[in-house]
Amino acid sequence: MSRLPHNSIPARILFVHILLLSVAVTPHFQHMSAWLVGFYFALAFLRLVISSQPERLPGRFLLLLLSLCGLGIVALFQTQPIRKETAIGLLVVVLGLKLMELRYRRDIYVTAVIGFFIIITQFLYNQSILLASIMVTVTFGLVIMLVEINYIQPLKSPWLSLRKALILIGQALPIMLVLFLLFPRLSGPLWNLGLDSQSGITGFSDSISPGSISHLSRSNAVAFRVDFTGQIPAPDKRYWRGLVLWDTDGYNWTTGKTIYGKSESYRAKGKPVQYEVTMEPNQQKWLFSLDLPAGKVPDTRTLPDFQIQALEPITKRLQYKLLSYTDYSSSDLSNKKRQQGLNLPDNITPRMHRLVNRWQTNNTSNREVVNAALRHFNQQEFIYTLSPPPLGGNPADDFLFETRRGFCEHYATSFTLLMRIAGIPARVVVGYQGGEINPHGGYLIVRQSSAHAWAEVWLEDQGWVRIDPTAAVAPERIERSIDLDDWAEGAPIRFQNLDPGPLKALIRQFGFGIDYINARWHRWVLGYSHKRQNAMLSLFGLDFLRGTTLGIVMIAVTALVVLVLIMGILHSSRINTDPILKTYLNFCKKLAKKKLPRSSSEGPMDYAQRVIKQRPDLAESVTKITRLYVGLRYGQANTSETRQVFKRLVHQFSP
Amino acid sequence: MSVAIDLSRFIRRAYPDKEGSTELTARRIYILPTRYGFLFAVLLGAMLAGSINSANNLGYMLTFLLTGLGIVAIVHTWHNLLGLRIWPEQAKPVFAGQEAYFPIRVENQRNAPRPGILLEVAGKTMSGVDLNSSESGELSLHLPAAQRGIFKPGRFTVSTSYPLGLLRAWSYVELDLSCLVYPEPGPNTQHLTPPSYMPSATGDRGVGTDDFAGLRQYRPGDSPRHIDWKAAARGKGLKTKLFGGDRAEQHWLDWDALPGFETEQRLSRLCRAVLLASESQDEYGLRLPGVIINPARGAAHRHQCLAALAHFRLEPPE
Repeated sequence: MSRLPHNSIPARILFVHILLLSVAVTPHFQHMSAWLVGFYFALAFLRLVISSQPERLPGRFLLLLLSLCGLGIVALFQTQPIRKETAIGLLVVVLGLKLMELRYRRDIYVTAVIGFFIIITQFLYNQSILLASIMVTVTFGLVIMLVEINYIQPLKSPWLSLRKALILIGQALPIMLVLFLLFPRLSGPLWNLGLDSQSGITGFSDSISPGSISHLSRSNAVAFRVDFTGQIPAPDKRYWRGLVLWDTDGYNWTTGKTIYGKSESYRAKGKPVQYEVTMEPNQQKWLFSLDLPAGKVPDTRTLPDFQIQALEPITKRLQYKLLSYTDYSSSDLSNKKRQQGLNLPDNITPRMHRLVNRWQTNNTSNREVVNAALRHFNQQEFIYTLSPPPLGGNPADDFLFETRRGFCEHYATSFTLLMRIAGIPARVVVGYQGGEINPHGGYLIVRQSSAHAWAEVWLEDQGWVRIDPTAAVAPERIERSIDLDDWAEGAPIRFQNLDPGPLKALIRQFGFGIDYINARWHRWVLGYSHKRQNAMLSLFGLDFLRGTTLGIVMIAVTALVVLVLIMGILHSSRINTDPILKTYLNFCKKLAKKKLPRSSSEGPMDYAQRVIKQRPDLAESVTKITRLYVGLRYGQANTSETRQVFKRLVHQFSP
Repeated sequence: MSVAIDLSRFIRRAYPDKEGSTELTARRIYILPTRYGFLFAVLLGAMLAGSINSANNLGYMLTFLLTGLGIVAIVHTWHNLLGLRIWPEQAKPVFAGQEAYFPIRVENQRNAPRPGILLEVAGKTMSGVDLNSSESGELSLHLPAAQRGIFKPGRFTVSTSYPLGLLRAWSYVELDLSCLVYPEPGPNTQHLTPPSYMPSATGDRGVGTDDFAGLRQYRPGDSPRHIDWKAAARGKGLKTKLFGGDRAEQHWLDWDALPGFETEQRLSRLCRAVLLASESQDEYGLRLPGVIINPARGAAHRHQCLAALAHFRLEPPE
């Protein structure tokens, strides 16, 4: 007796389905009002409670009331101007209301489709591996649900549908890959809805004041990662140039008015370093390069003092390739620039002048004055700390003579001021120093904790020379990264131990592994862009494919993949003929060639008798083959030995 | 001028072969998205637009994965029907006004399951079956039989939307299905012909009307007076009481005995008479203009009489 497909939803499917949808909704708790998401969860919970009694689902009136309630919540928590959260919130509320109507199998389709949409909205906020894997699992689960409700009879166990879903997704993956790689990427958005909100992301602003870098340094967040083509430079060469600060009011240092004109030139020594930086978004315009960069990054401008500035704030992960020379000597300095490099703020105190004068009387050359200043920092009681005491209205003076506790920006700014007092053009450079090498990927991770400030002074015979006063106080800073693991407010800075304990080494190793996976994820999955696509195509000499032609090629390749898939499916489902029958048919064919075809109504025995009557010479072999065949096919004689003998006889048979 | 074109001429159907069965070949299978498939496609468009706009690679990936699933589902849905063999099975005769039930055997010769095979007529799902690998199952078609004669339901549809329900593949099947429809039993007409009594040569056979002899399963047409209502009330189902006697009646059911009725009414009354006579285990014969069936007993005889009524003055079956 056949029956109609079951129309109601089996309890197990209902439970798993609602569970999957709820997992898809959950991360939205972070992005929108808890009331909105809470409304969904209340309805989902209610639906699960009344799962076994669909007749107790709310009627039309109650449903209308619930809908109004949901819309009210959306309206209440919408923002002006309308942001994407409002649209997503509406979707979440609609899904919750739809669960109240989840009675029949067809309702599974609609909710699953809304579920897919909610999954994609999660990626607008978070693209981590963790979220992606959770959402892939939910997608897989929803596909299982779709497969299950297409059975006529409810399945007793989910294995059949799970297997089918695996096959479907497995076959969909190559198509996904082709579409993902070949879908023509645009360099900009289609339209700007103005829905993206800025969020606080750590990074440099365009000025520093005492404490700004030490504040930044408390973050372990990744600033950027660098892949080197060749050897990674030694730690003391890893100065990542960001901003060059010229102007100060005695408290803040700023980049000042850029004096355009001839770019500073330098004579490079040694081999260039080639690398690619993958920078995390920092909502600022500054790009970081190894001191000193050569060449240009597209869509940026390089200022005369080798600051690289993007045209727009960096809101997305950015990748760029650069070439740098770590050994260099720069040449001339214009008068205007010299003037800018000597400007002093109003709050220079007499004791600062006296300090510099003392160095100048003991040393004649500028180089010696610089060394005297560094010796001063090294030999006096200066302490390098992440939490320096607060400074008054004249931070340089306070720091140099009173507190003597500071972070790199204190050393760099006060050193620069002292040099300017001595008549040596000087400027502050802000960026990152150091970075850890990830042993798994052979790339460098530069974290916010490596944020650094140093000075550059102009020496007649050498040009701009990098001087890092921090190194005079805490030489370890240059060789090793700051260890933030045990850091506490007010505690002295600890540096990463070169020989850490076994547990710590293990933890760090694990951290490197995670970062490696994350970096590859960013680079190959999230970082695949218009540029990457072009680069990949040119690798195969296909970079003439653009826009529409690329789209056509994408469709053609997809069609090819589907064709292969169809052939595979058809091949795998061919009706397998019994090998014994096949061999027997082969025997019949041989006889048919000798004008002795077997008629369709003839049994093997009758056929054999007829053949023997006409060709008595074949009697022995025909009888043997026919007996074996009948035994194999209808009798008990089906062993591998008899099968082999049978095959051999037919093979050797030649009428 | 009429421009009505018989579109059904252009439809490719699966016709039966010599053995009466048919196989759904590639050219006979149609496939289109279901309305959920269309919803899914619209959603994919929206997802793609969103992914392009935010240059979101995970968005692209999910969109393309679902696109891939949709494409793969086309192949799987189509393949779920491909090569399915369909056999008509003998439909049991029914009385006009009852529902004719056509069993249809679907045979999966493939070494893989074929779930979710549905049978539809005029857009209405009639039955469905999940076939395991190399297994055959039964689908059925049940349609109200309005008129006596041979009932041919004509074209029906075998469809599937497995695995994802986003697409529906279907095939029009035109099998040689037929069901014999007896006339609708009419009101009882007493004394159609005077019964001729004949003593039974072999004595009491447990067939007659005098003494209670036992129970048997209810058959349509049994007199309500003979139903064992007590047993029915105890939930034992409908049973008909049998009576024995040492005599059996033999009589002729005669067309000419019902003057003044229209053809269909006469046939209905004769049909009732056949049922009553076979119920009471009488020996009876049937006389229609041009048809004479000699008195006899038994199910085959009953069928012969009812079939004669069903076919009366209709085109003989081909």
